[in-house]
Amino acid sequence: MRRRRSRVEGAARALPEAVAALSRCLPAGPSPEIFRRAKFDRPEAAPVLWQLLLRVLSPLAANNTWTDLAPEAQACLVKSALGSQGYPRSVLLQFPDGSSQGSRELLLALSWLLARGPLLEQLLAQTRVQLGDQLPQWEAPTSPGPPAPFVEPKSPVDLRLVEWLMGRLRFRWRCLISSQQEQCILLSKIHLYTQGCHSQRSLGHLSVAETEMLRDPESGQQLLQALESENIRLEAALEWRRRELVFWQWMDTVLDTCSPETPAVTSQPTVLPAISEGGLGELESVKQELQALQEELREVSEPRRAAWEARVGGLGQGPEWSNSRKALQEAVQQELAALQGSWERSSTPGQPQRPHRLVRSKDGAPRPQGLQAAEVIRTLSAKEACLKKVLHQLQRQCQQELARLAGALPGLIWILPPEH
Amino acid sequence: MSIVTVQLGQCGNQIGFEVFDALFRDSHCSQGLCSKRDNEAYQASCRERFFREEENGVPVARAVLVDMEPKVINQTLSKAAQSGRWNYGQHTSFCQKQGSGNNWAYGYSVHGPKHEESIMNLIQTEVEKCDSLSGFFIIMSMAGGTGSGLGAFVTQKLQDQYSSSLKMNQIIWPYGTGEVIVQNYNSILTLSHLYRSSDALLIHENDAVHKICAKRMNIKQISFRDLNRVLAHQLGSVFQPTYSEDSSFHYRRNPLGDLMEHLVPHPEFKMLGVRNIPQMSAASLAYSTFTWAGLLKHLRQMLISSAKMEEGINWQVRPPLSGLPPIGKASAHKEHHFNTSLANLVVLRGREVHSADVEGFKDPALYTSWLEPVDAFSVWKTQRAFDKYEKSAALVSNSQLLVKPLDMIVGKAWNMFSSKAFIHQYTKFGMEEEDFLDSFALLEQVVASYGSLGP
Repeated sequence: MRRRRSRVEGAARALPEAVAALSRCLPAGPSPEIFRRAKFDRPEAAPVLWQLLLRVLSPLAANNTWTDLAPEAQACLVKSALGSQGYPRSVLLQFPDGSSQGSRELLLALSWLLARGPLLEQLLAQTRVQLGDQLPQWEAPTSPGPPAPFVEPKSPVDLRLVEWLMGRLRFRWRCLISSQQEQCILLSKIHLYTQGCHSQRSLGHLSVAETEMLRDPESGQQLLQALESENIRLEAALEWRRRELVFWQWMDTVLDTCSPETPAVTSQPTVLPAISEGGLGELESVKQELQALQEELREVSEPRRAAWEARVGGLGQGPEWSNSRKALQEAVQQELAALQGSWERSSTPGQPQRPHRLVRSKDGAPRPQGLQAAEVIRTLSAKEACLKKVLHQLQRQCQQELARLAGALPGLIWILPPEH
Repeated sequence: MSIVTVQLGQCGNQIGFEVFDALFRDSHCSQGLCSKRDNEAYQASCRERFFREEENGVPVARAVLVDMEPKVINQTLSKAAQSGRWNYGQHTSFCQKQGSGNNWAYGYSVHGPKHEESIMNLIQTEVEKCDSLSGFFIIMSMAGGTGSGLGAFVTQKLQDQYSSSLKMNQIIWPYGTGEVIVQNYNSILTLSHLYRSSDALLIHENDAVHKICAKRMNIKQISFRDLNRVLAHQLGSVFQPTYSEDSSFHYRRNPLGDLMEHLVPHPEFKMLGVRNIPQMSAASLAYSTFTWAGLLKHLRQMLISSAKMEEGINWQVRPPLSGLPPIGKASAHKEHHFNTSLANLVVLRGREVHSADVEGFKDPALYTSWLEPVDAFSVWKTQRAFDKYEKSAALVSNSQLLVKPLDMIVGKAWNMFSSKAFIHQYTKFGMEEEDFLDSFALLEQVVASYGSLGP
């Protein structure tokens, strides 16, 4: 009897402990009580969960600027972020921004995010305590942060003001680059001067955090505290992993308490394009025109193709062609392989980049693991070349568009800005 | 963050020396009227920005000296060495044996390409000695041949090679009745080229500085040295350290970047004028006291009425009430024209600076309609007094201050051009009439843009 009771008690304790572990490893995790209240759709749970979702969804929230937003703005951002991640339940969107309704839906959303991907790992990676010097973030983030809240301008905006603001942005950008260059130079100096100081021979020199720790014991204390709190979170994450089954079983019950959703709703896009009255008729006529064009194209191209084949068909078969053909095929293969290689390198899977510590070593010393700077530079140069090509293509498109517009209004003289 | 200065031509080198001297003297001035800690931070900030350390402890100016004649450079170098307080670096100067004959085309098309590598190498060496490079000052005159033509060439090369660094050209605007016949050609060619490749043109008008020397400093025989010292004082009052936005315990790290971001982000509006108050001889200074209210009131009126100095200000000029034309004498005289600003920066230095009230500069009537005063106006402060002035205020203004002088120069140059006077001296060095026409077109556009700021 006692054993059964203690087993029941143990089972009863399992859920709160699981939830407690979860909230300990989430950033700004709420108390387990909030989770329980959310199941019953209590209003006091809603604001806390909005904030939590905001913190979880936006990678830039680390500096706490988002939490200063008004509740309406927070709700708006969370909704759009969830939408961009593909969240299927549209019930959440129906609640007005800033209301305290919908805490159960928020709980479901959180669970969806947790179940869907390595969310906890990503969050923990974001707030890692770094002892070494890091490479600056050089991978484009796979998912952009939530879009900035759209503010309707009160009156027409003067173009000159827009140009002014663009100019400010450009100056800030240039100052940022200068600051980064400064950071590189100073980092290099520290690495050079502390050569031989590190206890680990393979590293050889100190990082900035380590130097700071030696210089100022106070910052050493702070680093220690940060490491300790990170440890707590990591332990909580491990505990969560052990206990999470109970949580998912509980979440099933939460889902059951919701009213069933109509299946059509989940597949509907949130915004329907407006189709005008005569729109359908227009679509038909466009379709017909397209078909007619395709016919025409086929009629014109077939005789041309036949003629070309007749001219060229004889060529390319003889023995003198086989070498050049082989060379061509090899060249094409190489290009394809290069393209595929760059595609694979550039496409980042969902997991976070493994962070690398920046280490300066003497030339010729063998480095068994880690990336070489030269290799990284090569990758980055290849990326830069790719992006430049895309930029030029877009610029050409813009120029063509401008030329087309200039030609469309014959009475107007267009003075284009001077070439840079 | 550090600024590397390129001194070009006779004018650029003479002024450059006075600038470094003024900055150094001020940073070591004992009458800073602030705490010791504040003073040390001020000194350190100024030192890092404009000087670097050498082994013997004498600070070395972060500068490159370029001229096509050896005389002025040698004078400048020896003056600096004699002072014993600071010095130019070894091997930071470049000169030749022949001048440029006041010919812009000679400076730009002949000297430029020929000496490009040597000059850019010198600059590169100086840049490498900076831990962090904020940008460049290029000090040059507009009217001569070396400063103007070679200056335009060097600025272009700096844009190519250091595209992320900031560039401010300190341009000496010649006397209206200057000695060089083709100074207007040189001026318009310089301005149009710099408009394309520089970020900001800070204009110092010789006429204005001359008046300051005559009326305010009571100097009887005004020499170039006197002019240069006044100019250096103006520049120092802008670029010496000021508190950063967040706290008054740190000095601003990147004044050049902050200035540019607030004053010249728009590519059509790059011309800046500088005014400061008070200006007086050291003798009078001892008997004068100032209030912030008085200084700022005068400075504001100087801005509105486009006055060159704090004497003879036209107090009739008032900001226009919305919808009404500017009040003033009904005549079409441009002296009573109200100077509409695009953006202004006020720098306050001295005792009780936190009590200074700059509300007068935040009046929307001062500014063009499409920019709010909160974006258009910024103020920098420090309690540390500058150059023995207990209180001083400087104004860097992106406004219609320079429209009139520019318009005059363009007009005179156009008159000469339409009769093809002296053009052959330019075309024989590879220039074409097209280049002149392009310059005229660009500057007319600048005049029109600034004109459109007003109501």
